[in-house]
Amino acid sequence: MALSREAYRELEGIVGPQNISDDPALLDSYRYPLSHTAIHIGPYYRVYTPRGAAVLLPGSAEEVQGIVKLCNKYKVKFKPSSTFWSAWGFPLEDDTIQLDMRRMDKILEIDDKNNFAVVEPHVIGATLQAEAMKVGLNTHIHGPGASCSCLASATALGGLGPDTLYMGHHNENLLGVEWVMPDGEILRVGSVGSGLGWFCCDGPGPSLKGLVRGMIGTNGAMGVFTKCAIKLYPWPGPAPLPVEGKPPAYKAVLPDNFRVYTLGFPSWKAWADSCYLIFDAGIGYVAHRQFNMFGRDLKGAMVRILSDPTRTLSDIEELLKDPEVQKMTEDMKRDYQIVLAGMTSGDIEWQDKALDKILEETGGWKVKAMLEPDLFNWSLLYMIRLGHKNLNLVFGGGYDGCFGLGGTPDFGTSGEPPRVEEATAFKVEWEKKGNVVAAGGDGMMGGIGGMGGGGHALWENFTHFDPADKASTEGTFEFFNAAARYGMEKGWGPGMEKMNDYARWTDGKTTPKEIRDRILGAVAQPEAFRYQRKFKETFNPNDLGDGYYRTLDDPIE
Amino acid sequence: MALEDYKVDMERCSQCSYCKWIPFDQVKSWRFAKGCPSIAYNNFLSYSARGRYAVALSLLNGQSTYTDRVVDIVYKCTTCGSCDVSDKICRYNLEPLEMIHELKFRLVEDGQLLPQLTAVIEHLGKENNMMMKPGAGRGDWAEGLDVKRIPGESAEVLFHAGCRFSYDEELVETARTAVTLLKNAGVDIGIMGADESCCGGRAYDMGYKEEFTGLAEKTMKAWTAAGVRTVVTPCADCFHTFSRLYPPLGAKFEVLHTVQYLDRLIQEGKIKFSKTIPMRVTYHDPCHLGRRGEPYVPWEGKEKKVKNQIVVYEPRRPRYNGAWGVYDPPRDVLKSIPGLELVEMERIREYAWCCGAGGGVKEAYPDFSNWTATERIEEAKSTGAEAIVSACPWCERNFIDAINAAGDKMKVFDVTDLVKQAI
Repeated sequence: MALSREAYRELEGIVGPQNISDDPALLDSYRYPLSHTAIHIGPYYRVYTPRGAAVLLPGSAEEVQGIVKLCNKYKVKFKPSSTFWSAWGFPLEDDTIQLDMRRMDKILEIDDKNNFAVVEPHVIGATLQAEAMKVGLNTHIHGPGASCSCLASATALGGLGPDTLYMGHHNENLLGVEWVMPDGEILRVGSVGSGLGWFCCDGPGPSLKGLVRGMIGTNGAMGVFTKCAIKLYPWPGPAPLPVEGKPPAYKAVLPDNFRVYTLGFPSWKAWADSCYLIFDAGIGYVAHRQFNMFGRDLKGAMVRILSDPTRTLSDIEELLKDPEVQKMTEDMKRDYQIVLAGMTSGDIEWQDKALDKILEETGGWKVKAMLEPDLFNWSLLYMIRLGHKNLNLVFGGGYDGCFGLGGTPDFGTSGEPPRVEEATAFKVEWEKKGNVVAAGGDGMMGGIGGMGGGGHALWENFTHFDPADKASTEGTFEFFNAAARYGMEKGWGPGMEKMNDYARWTDGKTTPKEIRDRILGAVAQPEAFRYQRKFKETFNPNDLGDGYYRTLDDPIE
Repeated sequence: MALEDYKVDMERCSQCSYCKWIPFDQVKSWRFAKGCPSIAYNNFLSYSARGRYAVALSLLNGQSTYTDRVVDIVYKCTTCGSCDVSDKICRYNLEPLEMIHELKFRLVEDGQLLPQLTAVIEHLGKENNMMMKPGAGRGDWAEGLDVKRIPGESAEVLFHAGCRFSYDEELVETARTAVTLLKNAGVDIGIMGADESCCGGRAYDMGYKEEFTGLAEKTMKAWTAAGVRTVVTPCADCFHTFSRLYPPLGAKFEVLHTVQYLDRLIQEGKIKFSKTIPMRVTYHDPCHLGRRGEPYVPWEGKEKKVKNQIVVYEPRRPRYNGAWGVYDPPRDVLKSIPGLELVEMERIREYAWCCGAGGGVKEAYPDFSNWTATERIEEAKSTGAEAIVSACPWCERNFIDAINAAGDKMKVFDVTDLVKQAI
């Protein structure tokens, strides 16, 4: 049912005529192409998310509240999104109202005594980091990078990123929250609910972090989060970042209390052992297997291209023949990047010594080519700002991660052959079919500290394809199906490539109930989703969210 | 290229929204992090490069048709190229600015016109200028100047004033100064006066490709007939048009902006300063001199794939991402002036904020244009500068208008004006 004129007029009365539209072409700019990458679904060639009924740009929590109340009055579904990075933020059903939160973009406060910031939905990692750095603080920037909403990540999504080792998950960093609940009431969660400020999500005051946030988040399907406080961490460097160079090869020359290394290891066991030793030593500011997202065989050449403004992708074949690049690539085969940030000169000296000791014990090395000043300063900036994250899409415009070997660092590296090599060999065979980029099978990228302080690693095997090419897109889909089957057979668990199958199906709309129930019912602890159904019935009585909120409706036999 | 040729770009768009911001590595504050004036002012996703890709695809696929909103989305773009720079931080095979031009061309072809732009283009056809002024007065700016007149006389260097510097009474003195400075420094310079023609670049950015082509051919013919080899212009729009848009049509003229010539003459000791200017200034990079002012590199080739699905070009395709624009010459000139202190804004060089005067926006959407200029003035004020200096009359006019509208006190100069003051 399309939005009635009466409902449209009432909505227009809330946000003003300049902040609402139902123009068909404009609505089509709010449809996500599921052929490009659906994070993590498909890819489905030339399939788009449904067209909304209208797009609204609310400017305050009160306007959001008014919209949500009207949605309840007219029984119209609504979907908020801030930075629209993936299919998560787009409707699952026709005629949903899309809330574009970009007008609510203020950093309301940075409390440098208590190390937190209060932000609105459209504050992104880059701007919050830049402002925090001015007072000697820094913010966690989650995996999708500096372009994405801090609030969305902290309140409603995963929140993992390269600096998680030091700065935690965003769910660990979430403090006070302002929540326009699905029925239109505004609830302030944690200390802010008692008028005591934003410093805590768990009281004094209503302690509902588990409800509003949980582990994975509600994905914009349970009301709208309009403000939140995020914990900040020490930044022992200059502000602003001293950036120089020509695009895209920007570099930052930071003081001597910063180091960035690409570490290489002789075996996967040594790789995993080094992670544990880093956790134990308590060193590291950012730690991530980052540049492997281009693929084991291509990353050396890609690092050379990206750090040199005169180069283009057309140089890749020539670079792959260069003996120096080949040596660098081999040195980086089993690698990750680590940034050390010393709070004092003694601290950085100690961290460096500790790292050297770890390398000595594991037989690892600092990849020499990455110590060249240009590459050093380029990779340092890259890892700290995470402003090139969408290089995920550099090759042809499409990517997604498969497998997802999540667990302790040695989960991916143990076995005979090691699981990482098994997954690599499996992908290499599919690369031979020609539909995905031939990258050497191992495009596994992820944090070595997938939770604050370490202890967890998560790798997704990046797979690159051309979303404008039917054969490439459909071939990638076939590969992902095969990867999912392989991962299940091996007991690795469901992979990243099917992560959102429970919510969105092949036509871009809500997954059929029987399939959704089967998927969610098969997880290790399905009762959590039955419990969430109770939450939904209580807090979202008119069911105006969507299937991204994980609920299991049928009893499990 | 036709709009249809960009369909693969539309399907390959990363959907990352980098196009809305300056390159993230360069973000220094919340206040001055935005890059695209269009989405910053209009807010709907459709007003970004990402959104325009989607709107264009919707139109091509027949999922939507022309509406007032579509016309607004397409024309409310200054074609400043900020999206192009930020997009190419991560992508080597997308050309959003080219696509936006093609989208404008298509609307013009299909008769989806804005009356404000139609009036300007009709006038251009009759009077040969973008200023809605009589063509007969084009050479008046140079009245009394002791300078050679081409084609009656011959000169090594042709000075092309451009429409704005020819007619804007507040700015013509800058053009006269430029000619005098170059002549006094020993440059064999001439002007075409009333015979000078509009370059056509602004018509191109508005979507009027046919009108642009006609003007380009007319200008190139006149220059060739007059034996012109080198052209110097004080206008960034003209500079971009001559150096980037004319060569694909066969032009082979050396093109310089006045600031490049002045920089050269200062370095050669042919311009010397005798006065001190005790003033703190900031420099605004015009889009057409900076990120859109990169040298033209001929290329003819095709897309191919390597390593199965990596999209590259054969032969290697030139990459325009703002890296090689004209950024240092104006700064070098300003730094060479005794007493002058140059302080930088947060958004500079390839990621400079647009002045808001381009793409037909000043003519069709004065409020949006004024807001864009005001944003830049606010940024300039944040540096503590007394004056904003630029190298484009369109930028300077838009800043003057915005400052006057706000009752502000910021001064506006062309680089040339300050050189003259210091001599």
